[in-house]
Amino acid sequence: MEDNGNVYMVQTRGLVKRYGKFTAVDHLDLQVRKGEIYGLLGPNGAGKTTTIKMLCGLLKMTEGEAYVTGRRMPDKRIASGIGYMPQETALYPGLTVHQNIKFFGEVFGLPKQEIEGREKPLLDFINLAGWRDELVGNLSGGMKHRVSLACALVHMPPLLLLDEPTVGVDPELRVSFWDYFDEIKSRGRTILITTHYMDEANHCDRIGFMRDGRLIAEGRPGEMLEKAGADNLEDAFMKFSERAERGEKR
Amino acid sequence: MKRLRFLTVTRRVFRDLRNDRRTLALIIIAPIFVMFVFGLAFSGEVKNIVFIVVNLDRGASVSPGGVPLSLSDKIVSNLDREVLKIEFGDDREAALAKIENGEAYAAIIFPEDFTSRVLADVQGKASGSATAVELLLDRSNINVANTITRTVNDALLATMDQAGVQPPLKVESTAVFGQGAKFMDFFVPGIMAFAVYMITTLLTLITFVGERTSGTLQRMLATPLTERDIVLGYATTFSIIGVGQALLLLVIGILVFHITVVGNVLLAFLVIALLAVVSQALGILLSSTARREAQAIQVLPFVVLPAFLLAGIFWPVEAIPMWLRPLSYIVPPTYTVDACRAVMLKGWGIGKIWIDILALLLMAAFFLSLAVWSLRVGKD
Repeated sequence: MEDNGNVYMVQTRGLVKRYGKFTAVDHLDLQVRKGEIYGLLGPNGAGKTTTIKMLCGLLKMTEGEAYVTGRRMPDKRIASGIGYMPQETALYPGLTVHQNIKFFGEVFGLPKQEIEGREKPLLDFINLAGWRDELVGNLSGGMKHRVSLACALVHMPPLLLLDEPTVGVDPELRVSFWDYFDEIKSRGRTILITTHYMDEANHCDRIGFMRDGRLIAEGRPGEMLEKAGADNLEDAFMKFSERAERGEKR
Repeated sequence: MKRLRFLTVTRRVFRDLRNDRRTLALIIIAPIFVMFVFGLAFSGEVKNIVFIVVNLDRGASVSPGGVPLSLSDKIVSNLDREVLKIEFGDDREAALAKIENGEAYAAIIFPEDFTSRVLADVQGKASGSATAVELLLDRSNINVANTITRTVNDALLATMDQAGVQPPLKVESTAVFGQGAKFMDFFVPGIMAFAVYMITTLLTLITFVGERTSGTLQRMLATPLTERDIVLGYATTFSIIGVGQALLLLVIGILVFHITVVGNVLLAFLVIALLAVVSQALGILLSSTARREAQAIQVLPFVVLPAFLLAGIFWPVEAIPMWLRPLSYIVPPTYTVDACRAVMLKGWGIGKIWIDILALLLMAAFFLSLAVWSLRVGKD
C-alpha cells in the first residue's frame, strides 16, 4: 500500500484488534477520502470505538496496517493533524469552559491570541457563549458534550475523528451540529464519525455498516437503500446484517 | 517549544488546583495541621508529673553548734519544677498508696539520718556502703519513668556539686551538633518530608484516577502530548507545590516553634522537591491499579503508614529492628528526612548528603520510568 495521503485521510487494510480470544476489530478495510464525511454505523460493541482509538494511536493494532493523514501507524506525528472527540465527556470538571478549550489549544502549541480568536466563534456555535467562565462540572450532560466537541475543533485539524458526537444532544442542536460539519467539510477537512443514530447517516457522504468488528456494507446512503431494497437505513442495516449472518453460516 | 510542551500540563494542573478551594486547603492546611498536632501533643517533653517528696531527714550540723544543714532540702530545691509537680507527703505508706491509685507517678523518700550519713561518708567515717534515697516509681509509662529518673539524678549531681563534693568520675559532654536543640528542631525536617510525601502521593493518585476514568488521559494522548510530557508536567507541578509546603512549614517552625536552622535551606528544598517528584510518580503508578477513586483510597494505608513509621520521622532508623530496616531504605521519605535533618541541624553541605540525593535521584528515575510505562501499557 503506497502513501495515498493525497487521496485518503484514513486507509486501513486487514486491521485487527484482539483482546485475548475476543476479536473486537476483524480484518477491517476502511478508506476515508480527503474532504468527505464518512459515517461508521453499527450497534454497540461493533468495534467502532476500537477502530477510532487505533486510528488515533491510543490502541496498538494486533494485525494489519493503517495510514492516517498519509503516515503509517503507529506514528505520533499524526497527532497534530487530528482532532479526536472521545465518547466519554473527557473534560476537566474543575476547569471552566474557557480553561478547557484553552488547554486543548495550548497542547497543540497554539499561541494565546489565536486560541482566544477561535474560541468566540466556537462558543457561539455550541451555543454556550454565556457559559464561558462556568466550571464544566456544573454543566448538564448535553452542554458538556458540546464543550467536548469544541475542544476537538480548536486547533482546526485536517482530520476529525468523532466518536458518537451527537449522543445526548437535543434534536435542534443536532441539526446545527450537522450544519457545522458540512461547513467544516466545505473548507476541505475530513470527518470520520461514528453514530448509532441511523437517521443522521443521511448527512454523510458515505457510510459503512459495522457488525462484529467487520465492515458488512459500504456506500452512499442512497446506494445503501437501493442495494438493500429498504426505505430507511435502519431497515437497510438489518438486511445487510441478516445477509452477513447467512454468509457466515454458509 | 516541543521540549517544553509538558509545561502546558503543569499549567493546567495549577489552574485546576486554583479553582478547587478544597484541594487548595488540603495543600496548605494539612501540613500545618500535622505539624501542630505532633508539635504540641507529641513534643517529647514530659511535664507536670505529680511527684511526692517524703522528707524525714533531720539534717545535721557541719560544725558543732552551727545551723543544721539539710542536704535533702537542697536536693528538693534542685528538682526541675517544670517537669515535676511536687507534693509533700508524711510517710512512705501514704506516698505508695497514692502511686498505686494513680494519683502520682513517683515518690522520693529521704531517711531520717540522710544528711548525717552522707556527711559521714564524705568524711570517710562511714561503713563503706553508699547512702540510699528510695525512689518509688510507676514504670508503666517508660517515657515518664525515664524522665523522672533523669530529673532526680540531675538534682543529686547538682547538689553534690554545690556542696563541694566531687564525684571521682565525670562525663564531659560537648554538643558537636545541635547545641541546645529541642524536639521541634529535630521534628520539623521530618514532618516537612512526611507532609510533602503524603499529600503529593494522595493528590496525584486521586487526580490521576480522575484523568483515567473521565477519558481526559486518552484525550491528551491523542494530542501531541506524550506519556513523558504528562508525567513530567505533573512532576513539575508537584515539586513546586512540595517546595511551597516545605517553605510554609519552615516559616511556621521558625516563627511559632522557634526552631533553629543552621544549614542552607535551599539544599533542604532541593531534596524536598526530589521527594515530591518521586511521590507524584508513585501516585501515577498506583492510579493504574484503581478503576475508581474509592479503590485508590484503599491503597493509601500501604503508602502512608510505612513512611510514617519507618522513615525516621519520630525515631531514628537505628531504632528500627535490624530485619525491618531494609524497608526503611525503600520508603522514599527516609532519604529526605535524613538529608533535611543533616542540612538544617548540622549545617552539612551537598558534599556530605550526596548519598541521600543520589538515592532520591535513582528513585525518581525509577518511579518516573515506571509511571510512563504504566501509561503506555493501557494501549494493549
